[in-house]
Amino acid sequence: MADSDTELIKRAQAQDLDAFCLLAERYARRIHLLASHYCQNTQDAEDLSQEVWLKAYQAVQTFRFDSSFYTWLRRITINTFLNHRRSNFFRWRGQSTVVQLLPIDLDDSGELVGSSSASPENIYNKLLFENVINALAELTPSQRLAFLLRHYEGMSYDEIANAMNCSTGTAKKGVWRAIAKLRARLSPDSHEPEPLIDLASEY
Amino acid sequence: MHNCTETKERFTELVLDGRITEISAAELDTCAECRAELDALNMTLRMTSRLSETAAPAESYWSGYHARLRDKLAIAPNPSHAEKQRRKEKLGPLFETMRLCVRTQVRVPLPLALAAIIACLALGVFAFRRKETPVAQPPLLVHVPVQVPVVQEKVVTRVVYRDRRSSSRNSRRAINDDAQAESTFAKSRTSSTDEIPASLNGFKPTDEVKLTVIKGGSPYEK
Repeated sequence: MADSDTELIKRAQAQDLDAFCLLAERYARRIHLLASHYCQNTQDAEDLSQEVWLKAYQAVQTFRFDSSFYTWLRRITINTFLNHRRSNFFRWRGQSTVVQLLPIDLDDSGELVGSSSASPENIYNKLLFENVINALAELTPSQRLAFLLRHYEGMSYDEIANAMNCSTGTAKKGVWRAIAKLRARLSPDSHEPEPLIDLASEY
Repeated sequence: MHNCTETKERFTELVLDGRITEISAAELDTCAECRAELDALNMTLRMTSRLSETAAPAESYWSGYHARLRDKLAIAPNPSHAEKQRRKEKLGPLFETMRLCVRTQVRVPLPLALAAIIACLALGVFAFRRKETPVAQPPLLVHVPVQVPVVQEKVVTRVVYRDRRSSSRNSRRAINDDAQAESTFAKSRTSSTDEIPASLNGFKPTDEVKLTVIKGGSPYEK
């Protein structure tokens, strides 16, 4: 029987590295997904998500069980993202619209799920990936983060505002502006390849 | 009445919350613009949702990811040390200095240590005894304002009257005694009238004035 989060957290607080690694295995995909959407680069996403885990490991003793572990971890994630934004680490990459698709074809580090490089679906996936990543890259970091938290994490505006240290109105405005920009970039009347739009309509 | 702006704003929240079914078909059929907006919004969010699946690394990626993470965690400072470090940084250099003072160990030779202890005890006893000796309390100083009269110089003119009747009885007896003085007085009077200066130039008043009152004076007195 798998250990519960509480059990693993208590063991991690007693400096059990294996327990903490088990916790990381449970939540690593969600954190990595946020990181990959935020920084639009596979290597940066790995570095950023692992930095989140390092910070969580060093702060695990401060976890008081007054919220879920993922809520606590997400808070660390958001702070790490914001600190990276302030430190200008990703800015030059975030401003760029060049998408690095090379890791997608790698066997070890970035292979797409169930994809074969020759299939039409994979080509469409690459196009979709590139197009959405470019659209996300055009958002400001705070708009991007607010959109990710609202759309992927399902957080309320109050929760986003609390996590990002801003007002609820600012959080809502950030999400709406992000959606408006994405819509303008990804809408059918923009100059995008037809197959991509057709593909999007299928889902 | 249909309001396009309000409807579009509502669409965003409904699509984000996955409550797209709450939008009535009748409402959409009445406004082509809102219908197009909803379709565009739906497609945009669907494409971004697809990104999660598209950008997901393969299963083989995760084994390497966790191995690299474990390596980083292994060399990272452990949680208790990190927590101590954070507390130390919060308390700042003052705490560090105090801790150093408390924890510092200095090797001292035993005779020197004994001498220091005896000296401390002696000083302590001396200080204790000194405290016990009664000390005369200093007088209590109370400041009371006192008005002191200012002495002012004034000229007092006194007229001395001589009683002729009482003095007549003793005049005979005293006349001989005062003969000398009378003659001196008369002489000084005449000389003073004779030697009145023409002016007061060069006159210097004396520091002391000696006044001699002679009662039962000479017959020249008025």
